[in-house]
Amino acid sequence: MASPEIQTAVQEAVVGALGVGEDEATPDATLMDDLGAESIDLLDILFRIERSTGVKIQASDLGDYIQGGMSEEEFGDGSGNVSRKGLEHLSRVMPQIDADEYEGKLEAEKVISHFTVQNLADMVAERAGAAAG
Amino acid sequence: MPSVQGPQPASQLTVQVGVDIVGVERIARLVTAHPGAVEALFTPAEQAYCLRKRRKHEHLAGRFAGKEAVLKAIGTGMRRRMRWIEVEIVSGEAGRPRVQLHGEVAEQARLRGLRDLDVSISHSDGLALAHAIAVCDHDSNPGGARAVSPD
Repeated sequence: MASPEIQTAVQEAVVGALGVGEDEATPDATLMDDLGAESIDLLDILFRIERSTGVKIQASDLGDYIQGGMSEEEFGDGSGNVSRKGLEHLSRVMPQIDADEYEGKLEAEKVISHFTVQNLADMVAERAGAAAG
Repeated sequence: MPSVQGPQPASQLTVQVGVDIVGVERIARLVTAHPGAVEALFTPAEQAYCLRKRRKHEHLAGRFAGKEAVLKAIGTGMRRRMRWIEVEIVSGEAGRPRVQLHGEVAEQARLRGLRDLDVSISHSDGLALAHAIAVCDHDSNPGGARAVSPD
Protein backbone atom coordinates (compact mmCIF):
# COMPACT_ATOMS: atom_id res chain seq x y z
CA MET A 1 0.00 0.00 0.00
CA ALA A 2 1.36 3.39 -0.96
CA SER A 3 2.21 5.87 1.78
CA PRO A 4 0.22 9.13 1.91
CA GLU A 5 3.32 10.94 0.59
CA ILE A 6 3.57 8.69 -2.46
CA GLN A 7 -0.18 8.80 -2.96
CA THR A 8 -0.04 12.60 -3.01
CA ALA A 9 3.02 12.70 -5.27
CA VAL A 10 1.34 10.43 -7.81
CA GLN A 11 -1.91 12.37 -7.76
CA GLU A 12 -0.05 15.67 -8.19
CA ALA A 13 1.94 14.22 -11.09
CA VAL A 14 -1.23 13.04 -12.80
CA VAL A 15 -2.98 16.36 -12.27
CA GLY A 16 0.05 18.33 -13.48
CA ALA A 17 0.74 16.23 -16.55
CA LEU A 18 -2.83 15.77 -17.73
CA GLY A 19 -4.29 19.10 -16.66
CA VAL A 20 -7.19 17.38 -14.93
CA GLY A 21 -8.73 18.37 -11.62
CA GLU A 22 -7.84 16.72 -8.32
CA ASP A 23 -11.44 15.55 -8.13
CA GLU A 24 -10.90 13.68 -11.40
CA ALA A 25 -7.55 12.10 -10.54
CA THR A 26 -9.08 9.81 -7.93
CA PRO A 27 -7.40 6.52 -6.97
CA ASP A 28 -9.93 4.54 -8.99
CA ALA A 29 -9.58 6.62 -12.17
CA THR A 30 -7.91 4.77 -15.03
CA LEU A 31 -5.06 6.74 -16.54
CA MET A 32 -5.85 6.10 -20.17
CA ASP A 33 -9.61 5.55 -20.43
CA ASP A 34 -10.88 7.87 -17.68
CA LEU A 35 -8.20 10.56 -17.71
CA GLY A 36 -7.20 10.38 -21.38
CA ALA A 37 -3.46 9.85 -20.86
CA GLU A 38 -1.41 9.08 -23.96
CA SER A 39 2.07 7.66 -24.11
CA ILE A 40 3.73 11.08 -23.92
CA ASP A 41 1.61 11.88 -20.86
CA LEU A 42 2.75 8.69 -19.14
CA LEU A 43 6.32 9.79 -19.70
CA ASP A 44 5.53 13.20 -18.22
CA ILE A 45 3.84 11.60 -15.19
CA LEU A 46 6.81 9.30 -14.57
CA PHE A 47 9.30 12.18 -14.79
CA ARG A 48 7.24 14.21 -12.33
CA ILE A 49 7.10 11.27 -9.92
CA GLU A 50 10.86 10.81 -10.21
CA ARG A 51 11.42 14.48 -9.41
CA SER A 52 9.16 14.49 -6.35
CA THR A 53 9.92 11.03 -4.91
CA GLY A 54 13.29 10.07 -6.40
CA VAL A 55 11.74 6.83 -7.70
CA LYS A 56 12.78 6.27 -11.31
CA ILE A 57 10.38 4.28 -13.46
CA GLN A 58 10.84 3.94 -17.20
CA ALA A 59 7.74 3.92 -19.40
CA SER A 60 8.86 0.53 -20.67
CA ASP A 61 8.77 -0.81 -17.06
CA LEU A 62 4.99 -0.44 -16.87
CA GLY A 63 4.28 -3.35 -19.14
CA ASP A 64 6.76 -5.56 -17.31
CA TYR A 65 5.19 -4.66 -13.96
CA ILE A 66 1.70 -5.43 -15.24
CA GLN A 67 2.80 -8.62 -16.95
CA GLY A 68 4.91 -9.74 -13.98
CA GLY A 69 7.89 -10.70 -16.10
CA MET A 70 5.83 -13.45 -17.78
CA SER A 71 6.46 -14.22 -21.43
CA GLU A 72 3.68 -13.34 -23.91
CA GLU A 73 2.83 -17.04 -24.14
CA GLU A 74 2.44 -17.36 -20.37
CA PHE A 75 0.50 -14.12 -19.96
CA GLY A 76 -1.86 -14.81 -22.86
CA ASP A 77 -4.06 -17.86 -23.44
CA GLY A 78 -3.42 -18.18 -27.17
CA SER A 79 -6.63 -16.42 -28.19
CA GLY A 80 -5.55 -12.97 -27.13
CA ASN A 81 -7.04 -13.07 -23.64
CA VAL A 82 -5.09 -13.05 -20.39
CA SER A 83 -4.36 -16.56 -19.12
CA ARG A 84 -5.40 -17.79 -15.67
CA LYS A 85 -1.81 -17.39 -14.48
CA GLY A 86 -1.74 -13.87 -15.89
CA LEU A 87 -5.03 -13.00 -14.18
CA GLU A 88 -3.76 -14.28 -10.85
CA HIS A 89 -0.76 -11.99 -11.18
CA LEU A 90 -2.97 -9.08 -12.25
CA SER A 91 -5.21 -9.53 -9.21
CA ARG A 92 -2.14 -8.76 -7.10
CA VAL A 93 -0.81 -5.69 -8.94
CA MET A 94 -4.25 -4.46 -10.06
CA PRO A 95 -6.55 -5.71 -7.28
CA GLN A 96 -9.65 -4.29 -8.96
CA ILE A 97 -9.30 -7.15 -11.47
CA ASP A 98 -11.06 -10.23 -10.16
CA ALA A 99 -9.41 -13.30 -11.72
CA ASP A 100 -12.64 -15.33 -11.71
CA GLU A 101 -14.75 -12.55 -13.15
CA TYR A 102 -12.33 -11.80 -15.98
CA GLU A 103 -11.36 -15.35 -16.92
CA GLY A 104 -11.48 -15.65 -20.71
CA LYS A 105 -12.81 -12.09 -21.05
CA LEU A 106 -9.85 -9.75 -20.68
CA GLU A 107 -7.84 -9.03 -23.81
CA ALA A 108 -4.13 -8.84 -23.08
CA GLU A 109 -3.86 -5.76 -25.28
CA LYS A 110 -6.43 -3.92 -23.16
CA VAL A 111 -5.04 -4.56 -19.69
CA ILE A 112 -3.22 -1.24 -19.68
CA SER A 113 -6.54 0.58 -20.10
CA HIS A 114 -7.53 -0.72 -16.65
CA PHE A 115 -4.41 0.71 -14.95
CA THR A 116 -5.49 3.23 -12.31
CA VAL A 117 -3.93 6.08 -10.37
CA GLN A 118 -3.90 3.75 -7.35
CA ASN A 119 -2.14 1.00 -9.32
CA LEU A 120 0.56 3.50 -10.27
CA ALA A 121 0.91 4.66 -6.66
CA ASP A 122 1.31 1.04 -5.56
CA MET A 123 3.95 0.48 -8.24
CA VAL A 124 5.87 3.56 -7.08
CA ALA A 125 5.63 2.34 -3.48
CA GLU A 126 6.95 -1.07 -4.47
CA ARG A 127 9.87 0.47 -6.36
CA ALA A 128 10.60 2.83 -3.47
CA GLY A 129 10.62 -0.12 -1.08
CA ALA A 130 12.91 -2.10 -3.36
CA ALA A 131 15.29 0.84 -3.66
CA ALA A 132 15.36 1.24 0.12
CA GLY A 133 16.34 -2.42 0.39
CA MET B 1 5.61 -35.22 -69.19
CA PRO B 2 6.50 -31.74 -68.17
CA SER B 3 4.37 -30.38 -65.43
CA VAL B 4 2.73 -27.02 -65.73
CA GLN B 5 2.53 -25.01 -62.60
CA GLY B 6 -0.37 -22.69 -62.04
CA PRO B 7 0.02 -19.26 -60.54
CA GLN B 8 1.91 -19.26 -57.31
CA PRO B 9 -0.20 -18.30 -54.31
CA ALA B 10 0.08 -14.65 -53.63
CA SER B 11 2.13 -13.75 -50.63
CA GLN B 12 0.04 -12.48 -47.74
CA LEU B 13 1.32 -8.94 -47.96
CA THR B 14 -0.64 -6.32 -46.14
CA VAL B 15 -0.25 -2.57 -46.07
CA GLN B 16 -0.78 -1.01 -42.68
CA VAL B 17 -0.92 2.70 -42.00
CA GLY B 18 -0.26 4.64 -38.84
CA VAL B 19 -0.82 8.34 -38.27
CA ASP B 20 -0.09 10.57 -35.31
CA ILE B 21 -0.43 14.23 -34.46
CA VAL B 22 1.43 15.94 -31.62
CA GLY B 23 1.16 19.43 -30.19
CA VAL B 24 4.52 21.19 -30.47
CA GLU B 25 3.84 22.96 -27.18
CA ARG B 26 3.25 19.59 -25.49
CA ILE B 27 6.72 18.39 -26.49
CA ALA B 28 8.28 21.77 -25.64
CA ARG B 29 6.81 21.67 -22.13
CA LEU B 30 7.96 18.10 -21.58
CA VAL B 31 11.56 18.55 -22.65
CA THR B 32 11.87 21.91 -20.92
CA ALA B 33 10.52 20.63 -17.60
CA HIS B 34 12.36 17.30 -17.76
CA PRO B 35 15.70 17.54 -19.57
CA GLY B 36 16.02 13.75 -19.30
CA ALA B 37 13.04 13.43 -21.62
CA VAL B 38 15.20 14.35 -24.62
CA GLU B 39 17.51 11.39 -23.96
CA ALA B 40 14.54 9.10 -23.26
CA LEU B 41 12.77 9.98 -26.49
CA PHE B 42 15.45 10.77 -29.04
CA THR B 43 18.66 9.10 -30.18
CA PRO B 44 21.89 11.13 -30.31
CA ALA B 45 21.50 11.45 -34.10
CA GLU B 46 17.91 12.70 -33.74
CA GLN B 47 19.00 15.16 -31.07
CA ALA B 48 21.86 16.39 -33.25
CA TYR B 49 19.46 16.98 -36.15
CA CYS B 50 16.62 18.62 -34.19
CA LEU B 51 18.44 20.65 -31.55
CA ARG B 52 20.47 22.65 -34.09
CA LYS B 53 17.29 23.83 -35.80
CA ARG B 54 15.90 27.26 -35.04
CA ARG B 55 12.45 25.75 -34.40
CA LYS B 56 13.81 22.75 -32.55
CA HIS B 57 10.60 21.91 -30.72
CA GLU B 58 8.72 21.59 -34.01
CA HIS B 59 11.32 19.15 -35.23
CA LEU B 60 11.32 17.19 -31.98
CA ALA B 61 7.52 16.99 -32.13
CA GLY B 62 7.73 15.82 -35.73
CA ARG B 63 10.20 13.09 -34.83
CA PHE B 64 8.03 12.01 -31.91
CA ALA B 65 4.89 11.90 -34.09
CA GLY B 66 6.92 9.83 -36.55
CA LYS B 67 7.82 7.30 -33.88
CA GLU B 68 4.19 6.96 -32.78
CA ALA B 69 3.02 6.61 -36.38
CA VAL B 70 5.60 3.90 -37.05
CA LEU B 71 4.53 1.91 -33.97
CA LYS B 72 0.90 2.18 -35.05
CA ALA B 73 1.71 1.08 -38.58
CA ILE B 74 3.65 -1.93 -37.35
CA GLY B 75 0.67 -2.71 -35.13
CA THR B 76 2.36 -2.90 -31.77
CA GLY B 77 1.90 0.48 -30.19
CA MET B 78 4.36 1.16 -27.40
CA ARG B 79 4.52 -2.10 -25.53
CA ARG B 80 6.60 -3.51 -22.76
CA ARG B 81 10.37 -3.42 -23.00
CA MET B 82 10.21 -1.07 -25.97
CA ARG B 83 11.99 2.25 -25.78
CA TRP B 84 11.32 5.34 -27.82
CA ILE B 85 14.91 5.47 -28.99
CA GLU B 86 14.42 2.09 -30.67
CA VAL B 87 12.46 3.84 -33.42
CA GLU B 88 15.03 6.15 -34.92
CA ILE B 89 14.12 8.61 -37.63
CA VAL B 90 17.14 9.94 -39.46
CA SER B 91 17.43 12.19 -42.45
CA GLY B 92 17.91 10.34 -45.69
CA GLU B 93 18.47 11.68 -49.18
CA ALA B 94 17.25 15.23 -49.73
CA GLY B 95 16.18 15.39 -46.10
CA ARG B 96 13.54 12.68 -46.49
CA PRO B 97 13.06 10.91 -43.16
CA ARG B 98 14.21 7.31 -42.99
CA VAL B 99 13.32 4.87 -40.22
CA GLN B 100 15.75 2.57 -38.45
CA LEU B 101 14.43 0.09 -35.89
CA HIS B 102 16.48 -1.27 -33.03
CA GLY B 103 16.17 -3.63 -30.07
CA GLU B 104 12.73 -4.85 -28.99
CA VAL B 105 10.92 -2.76 -31.61
CA ALA B 106 12.97 -4.39 -34.37
CA GLU B 107 12.24 -7.81 -32.89
CA GLN B 108 8.49 -7.17 -32.72
CA ALA B 109 8.57 -5.86 -36.29
CA ARG B 110 10.33 -9.05 -37.37
CA LEU B 111 7.68 -11.16 -35.62
CA ARG B 112 5.02 -9.31 -37.61
CA GLY B 113 6.77 -9.95 -40.91
CA LEU B 114 7.71 -6.33 -41.57
CA ARG B 115 9.11 -5.99 -45.09
CA ASP B 116 9.14 -2.26 -45.69
CA LEU B 117 8.46 0.92 -43.81
CA ASP B 118 8.17 4.55 -44.78
CA VAL B 119 7.26 7.69 -42.89
CA SER B 120 6.46 11.27 -43.81
CA ILE B 121 6.45 14.15 -41.35
CA SER B 122 5.06 17.67 -41.48
CA HIS B 123 4.62 20.48 -38.98
CA SER B 124 2.77 23.76 -39.00
CA ASP B 125 0.73 26.01 -36.71
CA GLY B 126 1.86 24.34 -33.51
CA LEU B 127 1.12 20.81 -34.65
CA ALA B 128 3.35 18.05 -35.99
CA LEU B 129 1.87 15.25 -38.03
CA ALA B 130 3.36 12.00 -39.22
CA HIS B 131 2.09 9.27 -41.49
CA ALA B 132 3.76 5.86 -41.65
CA ILE B 133 3.15 2.91 -43.94
CA ALA B 134 4.30 -0.60 -43.14
CA VAL B 135 4.27 -3.53 -45.52
CA CYS B 136 4.09 -6.83 -43.68
CA ASP B 137 4.36 -10.37 -45.01
CA HIS B 138 2.09 -12.47 -42.87
CA ASP B 139 3.51 -15.66 -44.39
CA SER B 140 6.68 -14.91 -42.52
CA ASN B 141 4.84 -13.99 -39.35
CA PRO B 142 5.32 -16.83 -36.90
CA GLY B 143 2.37 -15.78 -34.83
CA GLY B 144 3.08 -12.37 -33.48
CA ALA B 145 2.57 -12.60 -29.75
CA ARG B 146 0.26 -10.15 -28.02
CA ALA B 147 1.25 -8.14 -25.03
CA VAL B 148 0.47 -5.17 -22.86
CA SER B 149 0.86 -1.98 -24.88
CA PRO B 150 0.48 1.49 -23.39
CA ASP B 151 -0.24 3.24 -26.63
